[in-house]
Amino acid sequence: MKQMTKSKWKDPGIIMVIALVVISAIVWIWWPTEVYWMGISLAGWLMFFCFFVWLLLTFLYVIWIEKIEKQPDGESDKR
Amino acid sequence: MKGMETSILAIYLIGMTLIGIYFARRAHSSEGDYWTAGRNINSFVGSFALFAAVASSSSLMGAVGSGVALGIPFLFAYGFGAVAIPSFALFLIAGQIRRSGVKTMPEFFKIRFGKPVQIVAAVIVVLSMTFYMVPQLTASGLIGSYVLGIEYTTAVIFLGIGFTLYAALGGMWAITYTDLIQGAVMVIGMLILSVIILADHEGVGTLIQDALAVDPAFGEVTQPWRSYFGLFLAFLWFGVVSPSAVMRNFASRDARTARRSALGACILYLSVFIFGAIIASAGASLDIIDTLDNQDMIFISVIEHYMPPILAGVMLAGLLAAIMSSADAMLLAVSAGVAHDLYKGYINKNASEKSVTRIGFVVMILASLVGIYFAIDPPQLIAIMVGWVSGAMLSAFGFPIVLGIWWKRANMAGALAGMIGGSIAFIIMAALPFALVAEPIVAAPVSAALMIVVSLMTSPPSDAMQREVDRYHTHID
Repeated sequence: MKQMTKSKWKDPGIIMVIALVVISAIVWIWWPTEVYWMGISLAGWLMFFCFFVWLLLTFLYVIWIEKIEKQPDGESDKR
Repeated sequence: MKGMETSILAIYLIGMTLIGIYFARRAHSSEGDYWTAGRNINSFVGSFALFAAVASSSSLMGAVGSGVALGIPFLFAYGFGAVAIPSFALFLIAGQIRRSGVKTMPEFFKIRFGKPVQIVAAVIVVLSMTFYMVPQLTASGLIGSYVLGIEYTTAVIFLGIGFTLYAALGGMWAITYTDLIQGAVMVIGMLILSVIILADHEGVGTLIQDALAVDPAFGEVTQPWRSYFGLFLAFLWFGVVSPSAVMRNFASRDARTARRSALGACILYLSVFIFGAIIASAGASLDIIDTLDNQDMIFISVIEHYMPPILAGVMLAGLLAAIMSSADAMLLAVSAGVAHDLYKGYINKNASEKSVTRIGFVVMILASLVGIYFAIDPPQLIAIMVGWVSGAMLSAFGFPIVLGIWWKRANMAGALAGMIGGSIAFIIMAALPFALVAEPIVAAPVSAALMIVVSLMTSPPSDAMQREVDRYHTHID
């Protein structure tokens, strides 16, 4: 079994968590409750559009990990 | 009594029970099969199983009810966290937990931190999951009383007993396989209802305008910021801290299947929240929310208003299916916590598999009785009750799990301090006149801070344990 040689911060999962936290932080800090689109607060719409961003992040993660697994020097004990 | 709806519900429940009986033999063949379905499930089944385990009745009736009662942004805040449930757990802990080789969350705590942490965790899991039965039984009681034309209380008792027998009969095998059906019925039913609604209102734009014409505040943020943020946090973390969702992850055949199941569950969750927004808009446009005894009834009112009886029957069966799968997953978590983690782990280590399974059954009955007692007079909207449970589990377990995996310096004293301190902070916040479901905003950071400070103030874990934590991350090259 290989030893961990690089920082845990380079784990694809942690990078995705950071992306998720940054994107949600933008929504929570901005929180535009007084701006309306189609009669619904923009704060609501931002949360709604993030549904699709979360799916995109998950898709990228699955592709990424499977790509790592296919590397010839990849080790056997993968997630 | 609604004849058509009752007939479909009856056929559905009989079908599910037969599946439960079919899998009962396998369930009792070995303890491993009983808890994790023998890890023998593909990613298609796994997607629906993970989705149906996480998407409780609250995801349907509760989200829609809260979207109509508190404005559509509340439903979006719910989905903002909930759609990311499978993803967040996948990113942060799924691979590492799997590599650690444990079957339940308390078991991870035992291996990583030691027995005292496992015992405290098992007790908190049992209490949380028992309370979690309350929103499930509330929702099932509302559907049962509507369809059968009986008293709400009678419906709660009747369905509560039914769920318990079903969960006890089949264990995880039956639940996992019926989840496939339940998940499909839920998603397809909501899709059909949404199409009917959109056709009736001639598109999304006019539907929203119709809702706003009845309730001008429908599109507004009606609650304090911290209520939306607290709800988001509680649901985002749900997959990480929910013992049943972790068990489901282990039910997948291999690592690749587990990941793809999480992606599939994310797609299903996203669909359900889009349909939920459409159904909530239709619910608001009906202008009846203030006339309902229980605002969570609005989903049923929408089904009744827009769907013909035969489709309404299928849809109500889907709703009940969602409740059943969630309630059963919770009952199994309570049962596993007491029978597997506490009884076999500490009280009688030589207990036979049969006696462990039997104790699990008795525990399930006790848990559902407590659930029935509270559900007879539910304290809040379903979405809020689910938010409380998620928030409590985040406050207790969130950082002990994540730091246990990602920080090798974390130790037993720190985990105990984080778990107990987070729980106490949650209870204090819940007792104070704070915003609805905002407790974890304070309680989770308290748990994290206590865990870090106490870990640093006490001696580090053994070298062997620190190497083991490194091993959780060996895929990193």
